[in-house]
Amino acid sequence: MYGINHENAQIIFCDLNSAFAMAEQQAHPSLRGRPIGITNRLSRHCCVIAASYEAKALGIKVGTRLDEALALCPDFVMLESDPPKYHHMYKQLARIMKSYSPNIKMKSIDEGIIDFHGTTEIVNNRPLEEIGFEIKQRMKQEVGSWMKVNIGIAPNRFLAKQAASWHKPDGLDRIDHRNLINYYKSIELTDLTGIASHYEARLNAAGIFTPMDFLQASSDTLRRIVFKSVVGDDWYQRLRGYEVDNVTTKLGNVGRQWVLKTPSADDNFILPCFQYLCETTGKKLRYQGVDTRGILVWAHFRTGESWYVRRMFKTTFFTDADIYARALYLFNQRPKHMVIQSMGITCYQLTPSARNQISLLDEVNKDEWLTTAVDEINEQYGTFKIFSANALLGTQIVKQKIPFGGTKYFELLLKQA
Amino acid sequence: MDPTIEIKQRVDVVVVYKKHGDLASLCMPYKMRFRGQEIEFVELGLRHQTVAGKRMIHVFDMSDGVNDYRLEFDAETLTWTLVAMIEGNYVRD
Repeated sequence: MYGINHENAQIIFCDLNSAFAMAEQQAHPSLRGRPIGITNRLSRHCCVIAASYEAKALGIKVGTRLDEALALCPDFVMLESDPPKYHHMYKQLARIMKSYSPNIKMKSIDEGIIDFHGTTEIVNNRPLEEIGFEIKQRMKQEVGSWMKVNIGIAPNRFLAKQAASWHKPDGLDRIDHRNLINYYKSIELTDLTGIASHYEARLNAAGIFTPMDFLQASSDTLRRIVFKSVVGDDWYQRLRGYEVDNVTTKLGNVGRQWVLKTPSADDNFILPCFQYLCETTGKKLRYQGVDTRGILVWAHFRTGESWYVRRMFKTTFFTDADIYARALYLFNQRPKHMVIQSMGITCYQLTPSARNQISLLDEVNKDEWLTTAVDEINEQYGTFKIFSANALLGTQIVKQKIPFGGTKYFELLLKQA
Repeated sequence: MDPTIEIKQRVDVVVVYKKHGDLASLCMPYKMRFRGQEIEFVELGLRHQTVAGKRMIHVFDMSDGVNDYRLEFDAETLTWTLVAMIEGNYVRD
């Protein structure tokens, strides 16, 4: 009656439980079963970026500050993040997933999707539950006995992710036309992936308070009243188990931001860090094989106010020196008396690199050759072995964070680790 | 707070290479000599790789049943370094 998709479930969603904390507990047997957290840089005011299940049970979650965590649990252990370790987990998970279907997609460093469409009868002629249990077993055997994976099975990516988070930790669930209604009756609106407080408020305003209300809403209501765009149509399909999320996104911008540990208005402190942000942005650009034409720089001030300026340039550029020169020109337009809390740079209007084309202008060629030579030396001996002298302070202060959202810079991050 | 004790010392290590077995345990340290004591490992927590420039470093997180040790093998210089340890008693107090 709701137009639910009756297709056999052919998507498996794999999600490592509390991935970073579990990786540390796998590596350190003495920390297993204990409340631990991971942070990027250990300090009195640092916060948890990943918490173990034992810590979560005590109320310590992502964003909890170290002093708060210690107040909740005096035995709480906080470790600094170790990107190569997490990358190892990521590679092992991807390797195991790829052995079941060539069509896998890693959604982030701790979760991925196996699409069995077109493979089940030829390669894996067995129930997906059996494959799911096998993946769990293989993670324990081939990576470590402490490894736990949530598995979700469903006809589309959205429901598979919902199924993977149904019974944490170490769950395995299937959601399809047989149990979809009962599942929706058992959860809240914000339990749906993609529905946070902002969307919840929109739905509430349209009289939608539960997932069942959401399911019963017409496509027209969702498109015209709730989301005011085709996003409403996508939600109508998604909730019914039809696939709308199998899309490849295009690289739109590349950038870097940084939150200052101690807010400052001192140019002697801020500019070296800003130059370092520009150089890491340049490395990302060249890693992606693109040039840029647009630059946006921004700052948030201690007062709570924000400032930004953006500009499109006539020609494309990609060298660290070009990016910094243009970004600095924009950054110098900020209100200099204001104390900066966080700042960043974003390059946009990206185009595939034209670096193989030798220029008629020798100066342009020299810039390119110099950049290539520096990149090659850094590749050989480790990132930031050669960098601008002005950025020295920045290389010592600004620390690389773990990218939760995607995996496109993970190889680059590892070189910097 | 953070029980990790940084050590960064070269150590003598005896390694076992297996003919068969899981990928994770085909090669693993068996025991090491550290501060005049022989420490025998009973569990491999995790083995993973990292790089220092283009030098391959194999990281072995080992346990002697009480303490955890992070050993690194530099595949270019063929040296073993005890990078850090976590004393088991610290977290069990």
